[in-house]
Amino acid sequence: MGQTNPPFMSGVPELLLLRLLEQREMYGYELVKAIKLVTGEAISLGEGVIYPVLHSLERGGALKARKKKVDGRTRVYYSLNAKGRTRLERLQGEWARIQSGVSAALEAPANA
Amino acid sequence: MPEHSFDTLRSELLESGIAPRHIRRIIAELDDHLEDLKNEAMAEGRTETEAEFAGLDRIGNQKLIAKQMLDTPEFKTWIYRYPKIARVYLPVAYALLLPAAPVFAGIANPRRVIRWGTALMLSAGVTAAMFLSMQLAIALT
Repeated sequence: MGQTNPPFMSGVPELLLLRLLEQREMYGYELVKAIKLVTGEAISLGEGVIYPVLHSLERGGALKARKKKVDGRTRVYYSLNAKGRTRLERLQGEWARIQSGVSAALEAPANA
Repeated sequence: MPEHSFDTLRSELLESGIAPRHIRRIIAELDDHLEDLKNEAMAEGRTETEAEFAGLDRIGNQKLIAKQMLDTPEFKTWIYRYPKIARVYLPVAYALLLPAAPVFAGIANPRRVIRWGTALMLSAGVTAAMFLSMQLAIALT
């Protein structure tokens, strides 16, 4: 599977991470697996790129991180907080607007 | 392969001014992620080395991870975030404040400064008295 992060993917990992973390707290590897599952593997990212996004969201106050010992390994679990929910709603709105705009453009006659 | 899978990333982040605590954390998370990917690949029958390479391939381009970290200024140490303050204003402020250092020291430790000042005056007085007596002795002989 090719791992690409094309420029038009900007903002998509953030939206997906917030959406998944809205449901329950997860750690990095778990999040990547969940992204693959919910997108039907349509979105393929270099798995490491989620960490700077997670850290940035945490720094911005959208996520809360906590360390948890699991089978002798320390994992960082992320969860969404109130600020993150507001951000998710805004991003979902923006995404819907872009999606409808692109759909309208694709459905319009080519010589319009 | 480098000795540690993320050595290159660690060096690049350090050289670019990312705060060490952010580096430690992302490397720890990537290490943990790689461990999970290795376990997954080994469960599919790959050797440990193959699993490590496959894992690193899935982690993706480390330069891209570094770039993402660098794109967030908050991850950098304040010296890199405010280079003008660190390299221009702060040294100038220190240079200007340096002559006032004894005054600040005096305010902070008045007793010590009084003792030190008294000792200095006394030694100057003793030296002056010695010179005077020598001068007198020369004049009288």
